[in-house]
Amino acid sequence: MKVIRMKKIAIIGSGAGGLITSSKLAKELSKEIKNEEVSITLYDKKTEQEFQPGYLEVAFRGTDPSKIKKRVNKLVNPGVNMVYENVEKVDLANRYIRTEGSDKNRDFDYLVISTGASPDYEQIPGLKEANRDFHTNADKSSLIYNEISNIKSGKIVVGIGGLPYKCPPSPNESAFMLDEYFTRKGIRDKVEIVYVTPFTRIYSAESISEVIEPIYKNRSIESITTFNTDTVDPEKKEITSLEGETLKYDHLFLTPPHKTAGFLKGSEYSDEDGWVKVDKKDLHITTYDNAFAIGDTTNIPISKAGVEAHLEGIVVGSNIIGDIRGTDKNYKFTGRTQCSMETGFHKATFVVGTYDRPVEKIEPSRMNYMEKKVMEEIYWSSLRGHYEWLFKYHFKEDYFQD
Amino acid sequence: MATFNVNSIGTACPGPITDLIRAYKKAQNGDMIVLVANDPGVVPDAKIWCERTRNEFVSSKDTGDSLEITIKVTGKKA
Repeated sequence: MKVIRMKKIAIIGSGAGGLITSSKLAKELSKEIKNEEVSITLYDKKTEQEFQPGYLEVAFRGTDPSKIKKRVNKLVNPGVNMVYENVEKVDLANRYIRTEGSDKNRDFDYLVISTGASPDYEQIPGLKEANRDFHTNADKSSLIYNEISNIKSGKIVVGIGGLPYKCPPSPNESAFMLDEYFTRKGIRDKVEIVYVTPFTRIYSAESISEVIEPIYKNRSIESITTFNTDTVDPEKKEITSLEGETLKYDHLFLTPPHKTAGFLKGSEYSDEDGWVKVDKKDLHITTYDNAFAIGDTTNIPISKAGVEAHLEGIVVGSNIIGDIRGTDKNYKFTGRTQCSMETGFHKATFVVGTYDRPVEKIEPSRMNYMEKKVMEEIYWSSLRGHYEWLFKYHFKEDYFQD
Repeated sequence: MATFNVNSIGTACPGPITDLIRAYKKAQNGDMIVLVANDPGVVPDAKIWCERTRNEFVSSKDTGDSLEITIKVTGKKA
């Protein structure tokens, strides 16, 4: 009798990338899973996930934080073994991982790391005490809404506190949404909104900067470019830049620089800041062709955003399935970005580009805003592995090459 | 004095400037940053960045395959 050794797929991180990849694998390999030829295990201590683009709505429109949370057990495909433990060690050469506090080696044949990025307040002294952000979690985002609800007048500073950070358009969106909030409240003339960025223009990609610069001007939102936040003094309510310039504020909602998962720092497969070194098209980790990293975890030169984790997860999942089934199909990620940027008052633009195609110039419209809202509606279902056809149709298969 | 070698080959706007800013944060006055990139927009972007942050744009060199920009860190507060 022919004995087939079970192929073990380990996925670390139950955020957007980990859930989409595991769902796709479980759906398409259901027969192999049933025949015990394949197993899929997803590792993450979190029992709840949040719709992270919804943090802006919580912070600036007062959405109840509970509305953007879901239990992980409601999102994981039944074909996936969920282990509610965090991984603390990955040995790629010997193909095993260990979870926190355990000395048990859990071996794998294929590995996908999708551990994301999170705010790193340690990089900017004083920022943690002074700031409220909409990147940490839904509950912390709601503190901003509590604060702005009580503002009658004053100076609000928003923008990019450090690099890299998650969701590139979100600091600009915060400026536009604050403008909308105080305009609707009838006190916009009493509230000063200032946007700071370390880049030389309002948005890092020139084409989008050209689109949004007139909006800043028309809505009297001040912008300060090439401002490298160094420290914050919560007592004086003052930011100091690396060059020694200072900026006063009454309320501070800066986007902090982000960091990678702790266990990745100092590993042979990460750069000096802990971002995993991957081939930007194959997404495999350095010289290991059975191990991959996707989403914010990687050092590839594109946005840290959920849509990247989503598209990369589909590419990596397809390639693992191809390898298990012995087909020669090898898909390559094109670097496609598709980040929506709300410009307030029910309009939005999109940041669209690939590795080979510069970011397009797309004017804000209500249609774009509706498209953003449709994507939000299908978000949770897409994590369960649904709507892949819609993404393929929408992106015109622009996110992978075979 | 240290030299920070930053490889931004294969990254397009804003990749090289992101890498430059991350290296700058770690550098001290007197240090050099050597940025290698193949995005043609990097030279004017780096020039503007140096002008506004009061750092010194030392040189740019086209090596055929890539552009090599050398910057002396001079703009940081004492």
